[in-house]
Parts: sequence; C-alpha cells; structure tokens
Amino acid sequence: MAAINFGYTISKPRAIDLDRNNLRKSDEILHEMPELQTCIGCGACTAVCTAGNLTDFNFRRTHTLVRRGEYEGIYAEMNKCMLCGKCRLVCPRGINTRAVVMLVKRKLGDF
Amino acid sequence: MTFYAPFCLPFILGAALMFIIVAWKWILWLLRLPRSDKRLILRGLFTHRTLGAAWEVVRESLLHRRIFRVNPLLGYMHMSLAFGWFLLIVMGWIETISYVGFRWVPLQGHVFFKYFATSLPHKPFFDFAMDLLLLFVLSGVALAWGKRLYSRAMGMRRTTKHVLGDRIALSALWFIFPARLVAESTTCALYGGGGFLTGSIGGWMGAHIGVLPLMNLETVAWWFYSSCLGLFFVALPFSRYMHIFTEIPLIFLRHYRLRSTEKHSSYDHFQIEACSRCGICIDPCQLQSVLGINDVQSVYFLRDRRYGMLTRPVADNCLMCGRCEEKCPVGIDLNTLRLNSRDRMRNVPDERRYTYLRGVDRSSGEGKVGYFAGCMTLLTPRTLSAMSTIFEAAGEEVWWADREGGVCCGRPLKLSGETDSARKMMRYNTELFRKHGITTLVTSCPICLKVFREDYDLPGIEVLHHSEYILRLIRAGRLSPTHGTTRYTYHDPCELGRGSGIYDEPRAVIEAVGELLEPASTRENALCCGSSVANLAISDGQQLQIARSVAAEMEATGAEVIVTACPLCKKAIGRGTRRPVVDLSEIVAASLK
Repeated sequence: MAAINFGYTISKPRAIDLDRNNLRKSDEILHEMPELQTCIGCGACTAVCTAGNLTDFNFRRTHTLVRRGEYEGIYAEMNKCMLCGKCRLVCPRGINTRAVVMLVKRKLGDF
Repeated sequence: MTFYAPFCLPFILGAALMFIIVAWKWILWLLRLPRSDKRLILRGLFTHRTLGAAWEVVRESLLHRRIFRVNPLLGYMHMSLAFGWFLLIVMGWIETISYVGFRWVPLQGHVFFKYFATSLPHKPFFDFAMDLLLLFVLSGVALAWGKRLYSRAMGMRRTTKHVLGDRIALSALWFIFPARLVAESTTCALYGGGGFLTGSIGGWMGAHIGVLPLMNLETVAWWFYSSCLGLFFVALPFSRYMHIFTEIPLIFLRHYRLRSTEKHSSYDHFQIEACSRCGICIDPCQLQSVLGINDVQSVYFLRDRRYGMLTRPVADNCLMCGRCEEKCPVGIDLNTLRLNSRDRMRNVPDERRYTYLRGVDRSSGEGKVGYFAGCMTLLTPRTLSAMSTIFEAAGEEVWWADREGGVCCGRPLKLSGETDSARKMMRYNTELFRKHGITTLVTSCPICLKVFREDYDLPGIEVLHHSEYILRLIRAGRLSPTHGTTRYTYHDPCELGRGSGIYDEPRAVIEAVGELLEPASTRENALCCGSSVANLAISDGQQLQIARSVAAEMEATGAEVIVTACPLCKKAIGRGTRRPVVDLSEIVAASLK
C-alpha cells in the first residue's frame, strides 16, 4: 500500500501584513459568499479532497490565504480542484465549497 | 371578383413581415449549422426518417399528443387551437376552390372569404363546417381564458409568468377568433347565410339592430379582426409563438439525428425557439415545489437565453435532475442546453491545468473486471466494503482503480461548465483503464457511469453500474443472496434512472433480497435528492429541505429501509430521515452471510 500523503507538512514561517494587503477582492468574495465566514478551519474539506490526495492542493489554506488578501498564485492553485464535491458533503458548517472555488477563480483570475 | 378591401392591410403587412422574418431565421440557422450536421441532414433527407418526422409533426405540432399525457383538458386546449386553426385554414381553402374553382386567390381572399363572397350563392355544407371548426377553436380559447383563472383544472399548479411581448401576442391571439365570429356574424346579418353559429347570431343581430349601425359595425369588426391577425403575426417571430414554426424543422432535424452537445451550435436555436413557454416544466421542478424558487426553471432559462439576458445565477441554479425534460412536450434537451450555456459562461481552456495528472496511478489488484468506486463512493466506505464482499463471494478477480484515491471522472467539472478541463480527466482515466487491460468496468456511482458511457471512448470495455453487475452475478448463480422479510423502498438516482435509463436492474436486485415498496414518485418521475453536483447555487439548508421532502415520501411507503444506488443520494437522503439509508450493494452483501 502506497503511503498516503494527508497534506500535513510544516509550512515555512512567514508573516502576513494585513495593513499592507489589499482586502478589496477578499471583501467582495465574502460579500457574495457570506457563509464563508462561518468556516471553523477544521480542514475536513482538505482531508477528503480528491485533488489534495494527489497533490499538495489544500483548500483550507487556499481560501484562508484569499481572506487574508494573499492572492498571488491563487487562481492556479484553485485550478487544481476537480470540483468533485466531497468537501461540500463533509463540511460541518455546510459551506457551499464548490461555489467558493468558482467564485474565487472568477474574482482572482487576474492574479 | 376582387379580393381586396382596405381592412385587409394590417393582415397583409403582418403576414408578409412574419414570413420574411421566419424564413430569415430558418435560413440563417440552417446555414450556420456545422458541416457534420449538414451532412447528417443530406444523408437523412431521402430516407424513411423524413416520413417519420412528418408523422411526428402531425402528432405533436397539430394534435399535441404529449400534452394529452400530462393532462387531457390541457391537451385538448392546445389541440383545439393548433389543429382547429389548421383545419380552419385548410377548409377555408377548399371552400374558396369550391366557390371560384382553381384560380389564383390572394391570401387575404382565403382568410376573409366570408366578406368577399356575399354575392355568391351559399353552400350550406361549408357554412356548417366552417362554423363547427370555429366553435372548436373558440372552445380552446375559452379554456385558455379559464386556465388563467384556474389552472389547476388542467393539472397545472403554476403557469408561466409572461413577458410583455408574450402578453401582447397572447392577447392578440385570444381576440382573433371572437373577432372573427363577430365579423362573420355581422356580414351574415347583412347578407344572410352562415351556419348554426354565425348564421344564428347574424339572424339575431339582423332582427335587433338597424341596417346602418350594422354596416358600421361590419367595417369595424373586420378591421378589428384583421388588426388582431396582423398584430399576432408581427409579434409571432419575437414571442413564444415562434414555436409554431420552429417545432416543425426541429422535429425533422431531430429525426436526422442532430443533437445538442456540450458546446453551443446553431442547432440550439431550433431547440430554444421551439419552446412555447407552456410552463409544464415548472411543476416538476423541486426548486419550485420545495424551495419556492420561481425564476430559474427551464422555461425561464430558455427565455432568458433566447433574448440574450441569461445570467449566471439562473444558469447555475438547476439540479439537472431531468424531471422537466421528462415532461417537456416539445422534447427539448433542456439539460444539454443548460450545460452549453454554462460552458459559454465559464469554460476557460488552460493547457497548464491538471499537469499533475501524469503518473498518479494508485490502482491495486489484477483482473479483467475493473472497479471504479468514484469520489463519492470513497466517502461511503460501507459501499466499498460491500462491493469487496460481493467480489469475493463471486470469486471475481478485480482491479481496483481508485481504492487508494484516484482522479475524478470529470462529470462534476463538465456539469459546472469547464468542459475543456474535464476532458483532461477523461483522457487520463481512459488511458488508465486501457493500460490495465480490463474488459468490464463496474462503478457504483451513477455520475461516473453516465460520463463513462457518454463521453469516454472505451472500445472493448463494457461499462456497468454495480446494480447491473450484481444482477448479472445473481442470475449467473455466482451470488446467492438469501431472501429476507425486510421491506425496502427504492430511490431512483437521477443520473441512473432518467440519466442512464436503468430502472429495472436495481429493483430486481432488491426483490432478490427482500420486499420492494414503491414510493409515490417513482421511475421516470422519481424525485431528486437535492444534493446534485450540477447545482452550484442552493445552500446547504436548501439541500436539506429537499432531502427531507424526498425522505418523507420514502418513509410514507412504510418501508423499514431506504435503498438507493448512488453514494451521493445515500448521503443526501440520510440527512433527511432517521430510517437507515443504504446502498444496494450493502443489502446484497448483508444477505450473503
């Protein structure tokens, strides 16, 4: 049996400066998708993720970065998602995760 | 005898304008068809398909047989208007010929024949026949008025909310035949003749109204009749009544095997404008009946798309369960059209996307039978272990395509409109299946099944849903489940039933294990669990609401266990009920021990 990569690795230490980041896009996304604010960051979405099983794609990390105003490379990252919808079934807050993926891609296509 | 009077002008102008616009549309759409479609038309033109299409035109465009199946009264209303008007035109032509012989008569001469024929001797047969047909049409108009007041009498809980253009055309249509009745009656009052309808009303009018007012009334009435016709004809190509002239070529093209695809094509115009906005698609929609969402149903989607005002929320908010498609009297490919609208709105071809798909083969085992669990089945491990038990009991050597994680089949992505990217996943999985040399591919997810059958190119590999596969094993004697006393009810998954036409196999499997009780909406009319991957818009709470309504219907059968054959349906319905919801494979595996 191949070793399963659950996506738990240690991230390099870095700082996000919320004063410097432009949160306009992030606010737009939250405005269209207010339920995203109910996310408790449990990571269930990431644990079941089909794409995350094959790559280092991490939905929790990606959408959290978007909310902090870190948009670089987000579009390419979200494009790894296969939209299979498992994350939506396991989300304890019932967030429409697939719509979040589509929305983030639509808003951050230029970044 | 001249066949012209000033009042004919609105009719002549309207009719000319209508014919020019309709011809323009037809020619443009046909010319823009892709080359392969044109070839299909040429190949089918001189075959029995043309005859088949002509017969269907009579059945559907004139008689409206499929609406009769929805509700007899509704069917009669549509038939009396369409077939009645058609007969009125045909009988009018025969009448003209019988009066003046085979000579050229302008169009208005046929339509307003009663007005021009006052000096000719009366032929009672035609007076009677034309009145009878007029009565036939008028009964349809009366029903149409009645339907506005009380649509439930015709089996419709809700009817279409019309836009202004449709209302104008509709009003003109409703006035055409009463106006004709009044106009012909006044002429009969002045010159005699007429059948049981126009003649009797004419006689009454002649006895009660003076000649001078009658002559004024006659002019006004014929002007009004002609104006109604003219207004209707002008509005026709721009309103829902374009369906009258679009359904006919659509039926022919459909018989020549033209189909809509995930990409927009000129053929879509024929489908979109063939929608009469009858609104039969509204009642089956669970977004309407459970959630009260009133502006996304197929009738509104097609309308918005036709007039170029389609918005993403409308295109996205659909379960694609296919319940409306099942009921559509015109047989429009509603799901495919919605799919290619989403493709237009969202498809962004990206070459770099999914480059990670190279070399991620995590399959295990060896065998001629491949089992593709599918993403959702990986979330329902009981199905997976039940399948494992079944394979073992049948002594089948199995290649497990994705037990340790695999690549999605691509259908969810396709349903969301990113069709080009979905193709990459399809290519990846196709190569994977071919590489392992399987001859049978079993999947327990109907979503995967549909895409394997329709979009994958898998020569030499038979694609089976696990319900079909299990039934085969039972019939071949390789599985011997014990028949118990448990009462089951079965939920038809949309993608399996309406989507792939598999209704009987799961039922046969359940009956081999226990007793089967059918819910109220079943088979083609089965409800959707509400969690469809095709819907990107409704919230979790709304999904749950639909699931509860479905579960309530399943519970009402009195069955102890709810069975389904789709991991997504299982998850969805499970949230709406306290009864156990299990996959088909689970009850079979349990009955083996």
